[in-house]
Amino acid sequence: MPDNIYLPELARITYIKEEVAGERSIKTFRVEPVNGDSFEHECGQCAMLSIFGRGEMMISIASSPLVKDYKQFSIMRVGRVSAAFHDLAVGDVVGIRGPYGNSFPVDDWRGKNLYFIGGGCGLAPIWPVITTAVAQRDSFKNITVFYGGRSPRDIMYKAELEKLRGVADVHLSVDKAEDGWDAYCGFVPANVMDKEPSSDNAIAITCGPPIMIKYVIQNLRSLGFADEQIYTTLENKMKCGLGKCGRCNVGKDYVCVKGPVYSWAELKELPEEY
Amino acid sequence: MEKILHKERIDDWISALTGWEVLSPALEDGIWAYRPVSGAVRLDHPNTTQPPKGLAFPQREVFFSFEQIKGEAPRLTQILPDTVQRAVFGVRPCDGRGAVRMDRVFGDHVEDTYYQARRKNVAYVGLACNQPPSANCFCLSVGGSPVSTDGLDVLLTDLGDRYFVAAVTETGKALMTAANSLFDEPADADRQQLKSVHTEALAQPQRAVHNPDAVPAKLKASFKSPLWEELARACIGCGICTFLCPTCHCFDINDEVTGSAPLKGNRVRTWDNCQFPDFTMHTSGHNPRPTVGARLRQRVCHKFQYFPENFGMPQCTGCGRCISECPVGIDIVSVVNKVVEHAG
Repeated sequence: MPDNIYLPELARITYIKEEVAGERSIKTFRVEPVNGDSFEHECGQCAMLSIFGRGEMMISIASSPLVKDYKQFSIMRVGRVSAAFHDLAVGDVVGIRGPYGNSFPVDDWRGKNLYFIGGGCGLAPIWPVITTAVAQRDSFKNITVFYGGRSPRDIMYKAELEKLRGVADVHLSVDKAEDGWDAYCGFVPANVMDKEPSSDNAIAITCGPPIMIKYVIQNLRSLGFADEQIYTTLENKMKCGLGKCGRCNVGKDYVCVKGPVYSWAELKELPEEY
Repeated sequence: MEKILHKERIDDWISALTGWEVLSPALEDGIWAYRPVSGAVRLDHPNTTQPPKGLAFPQREVFFSFEQIKGEAPRLTQILPDTVQRAVFGVRPCDGRGAVRMDRVFGDHVEDTYYQARRKNVAYVGLACNQPPSANCFCLSVGGSPVSTDGLDVLLTDLGDRYFVAAVTETGKALMTAANSLFDEPADADRQQLKSVHTEALAQPQRAVHNPDAVPAKLKASFKSPLWEELARACIGCGICTFLCPTCHCFDINDEVTGSAPLKGNRVRTWDNCQFPDFTMHTSGHNPRPTVGARLRQRVCHKFQYFPENFGMPQCTGCGRCISECPVGIDIVSVVNKVVEHAG
């Protein structure tokens, strides 16, 4: 930890890509440290990003820990700081501090079948696990990615998902049928039921809107997945990232320290206040 | 180190503390607060309206300033707390125990840069409560005592015309040694009187949380109780309960802009409050604690269930401020008792 836990490092934006257009647009940013080395992170951890004069926001790190040159963040335009981020250009300098929270126990999953189930912006927090598993392909058995958006225009990481085909099974979906869409039509939990993944030697990792997560978990349970085989990642309002400001408190846990990664076995012990 | 100090010598003791800024309770506009000593000190106050927590965790503090010319990298200048040593006289044992709990929150896991910088320069000279200073005191129900030394550096006990002065920490010893000649050695009669004063203090009637050891489990079982909404119905969300609490530590961090072209401003920490609706509200509008009942439950369960699960002690120290100052009469002792009783 740095001497001053609240003082961000400076980082320069080196890449911006619009993933999804529209009112709740999503942009991907890559940042590199301005002054030498930055912190290292693990899959699932988050960082506090700053725009000075606007404030801070907690965003999950979307790049694999294996990528050392930059850190990637995919950010939906919703609030004061995220909107300001969307107005930035390559070369602009922002603040970053972290890493915060626990991580997905990827090393424990070696030799297993991995099912990733994402919806909307929820692909970003599990993307570091997907890309890490793909980079270490021989360490894992089958890798399957379910991902859905409201419409074909709401699918993020389109090109990256296409590139996964061949090393992973990719099952995309959109909520409503549309001309030109030949993959699954319907909600993500239904797409999972349709493909009937086997719980045998498997781990399922899900992230997306709360309602999607709820039904994904319900469906996985009915497919025979045990509580310990299901992982998700929580989000809550956060200010410090260090278990002190109290915002993200759920039961005895501060999500920024004990989370954001939970197995369903752990999560169902917490009060439903997230 | 145990000594006797005649009451008329307390001002001389304070004067002898060179290098220390000394604070004591002062009544200003009907509010008891810790203020720098000016003139004679009399420690005959009830408990202060505000606990002394602000000395290590001020209501507003600047972390750093920033300055940015458009298109260039920002310049950050960290603003660290001053290094003035502060001795606070007249701290009640419940507030000493409050400091113990704040020390855990800001010291465990990762040390809070700003809290620690301030805290290491604060010393608490406590005053035992021979009588409960408030009708809402309930320290005995939460593992405390009117004569507890937890979190204090020195404990004074009022023996009428003199104080029994007991050092609790090395800092406390140093505060006493700085004015060695003012103190007398305690005689057997002083020690006997101390014992009887403390025994009487412990026997004073207080408010009571019933069966406190069972409270965490009963609260856990009552998470979905309809009582929470009922008991919180009158809440206007003013937040006085947490702002005056010696252990509430939640905060907000914001940027305050003071100038443009170049952009100038400060990143600032301020106290925040779990009783405010937007405390937990996501940017999306989703709110994990959308009702007054959910927010009262959070305040009560944090004090009496979650904190004990994490730290092995209740977060509440029984000072009673949140009861005395609530404008609508929400009473944490009665809330805990009702919910626990309802849990069966």
